[in-house]
This record gives sequence, C-alpha cells and structure tokens, in this order.
Amino acid sequence: MSLEHVVGLGIVLFAIGAAGFFVRSNALVLLLCVELMLNAVNLILAGFSRYLHGTDGQVFVFMIMTVAAAEAAVGLAILVALCRLLGTLDMSRINILKG
Amino acid sequence: MIETVLFWVLAAASVASALGVVALRSPVGSVMALLAAMLATAGLYALMGAPVLALFQVIVYIGAVLVLFLFVVMLLDLKGTTARGRPSARAAAAGAAGIGLTAAAAWGAWKGFSQAAPVGGLRPAPGISEIAIDLFGRHLLVFELTSVLLLAAAVGAVFVSRTKKRRPS
Repeated sequence: MSLEHVVGLGIVLFAIGAAGFFVRSNALVLLLCVELMLNAVNLILAGFSRYLHGTDGQVFVFMIMTVAAAEAAVGLAILVALCRLLGTLDMSRINILKG
Repeated sequence: MIETVLFWVLAAASVASALGVVALRSPVGSVMALLAAMLATAGLYALMGAPVLALFQVIVYIGAVLVLFLFVVMLLDLKGTTARGRPSARAAAAGAAGIGLTAAAAWGAWKGFSQAAPVGGLRPAPGISEIAIDLFGRHLLVFELTSVLLLAAAVGAVFVSRTKKRRPS
C-alpha cells in the first residue's frame, strides 16, 4: 500500500460518484453520489496525511465531514419539500425552473 | 504483507459497493450500498493509522448521515417516483462525461504530483494528541465557524421543510 494506491482508489471512487451523478435521475441517489465523491476526497486527504506525516489532512477530513453532514440535512429537507410540492423526485420530470 | 492483502480486499469492497450505489434500482438498496462503502472506507482509515478518522466515519457518516437518508427514504413514499427507463445512449454519454471530467482533473493533479519532491519512507502516523493540538490551535477559528455552519444548517433544514399552517377562516 503506497500513496499512489490510495490516491488511485480515491480517483476511481470519485469517478464512480461523478458518473452516477450524471447518469441517475432520482434526486435522492444524486445526494448519495455527492456523499460518495466527498468520501473519495476524504480518503485521498487521509492518505496524504499518512504519507506526509502531517495533521492537516485529518483536520481537513473533519471539516469535510461536518460540511457533508450539514449538506445532507439541508439537501434532504429540500428533497422532502420538493416531494411534497411536486409528488416526484425524478429529476428528468422536475423542470419548474425552465422559463 | 497482511497490510497489502487487507488494502486490496477493502479497496475491492469499496469499489464494488460504490458501483452498487449507482447501479441499484431501489433507493434503499443504494443507501445500503453506500453504508458498505463507508464501512470499507473506515477500514481503510484504520489501516492507514488514523483510528480517529475511522471512528468519526462510523459515528458521523453511518450513525447520522446515512440514518437520516434512510429516514427520508422511509418517510417519502418513493414508489413510482423512480424512473423506469432502461439505460439509454444519453445516460452512457453522461456517465462518460463524468468519468472524463474526473480523469482530466486527475491528470492535472498527477502532473503536479510527479514534479513534487518524493515522499520518502513511511513514518509513524500522527497521534490523536497531535491532531487535537493542531485542531484547537491553528485551526481554532475554522473549528468555531463550523459550529455556526451547523447551527445555520439545522435552522435552515427546519425552515425549508416546515408545513404551512392554514389559518381557520
């Protein structure tokens, strides 16, 4: 296990999350894909923290986890409001911002 | 030796469950697959000598965020709201665009990475006391600001998801 291995795994996970974000149309799964991408970045930061012997990487991971928790709370509240308003979470059918 | 084997097992588990997040049809299945991916990542943290991160991963992500996701999946009756279409050429192009974007970013990062000074041998991982001193010393302002962010997020979530009370007329 070297730094390249960890960074490579993080990149693969991020790519899966990004592809899923573009492919799926369920808004809930989109939020899950965002969490997946944040997780991949956390993994890369922890890897750098391990191999450069710094504490900064782990502090950044704490901050990212906090922001992810806040993002999940607000995003899920928006999803609940959206589902109550429109009765669907299918992003291909939600086009109320279209002028 | 055992470390390498563990790394590859956990890496394969995390990639497989990440694919499950994208590929599974039901939202509950996606949440469960993400749970498996988070657990595998927590194992990787522990393997990398960051047990604090592994604990936080389990407590914050699995204990709080994913449970919140499960609550919402159960709360909203999602039957019939998922798209039933089969993967189209458009979806394939979108997925390729996502992977291409990541590959471009990774290529740029890799170019900077190869010019950086070599990392050298593995030294002992920073312990919890060093992390705590750093977090409450140099990063104290950021730490305090995060609490404001969490408060704002909590208030915002309540405000967004409130229901309007009809006034009796």
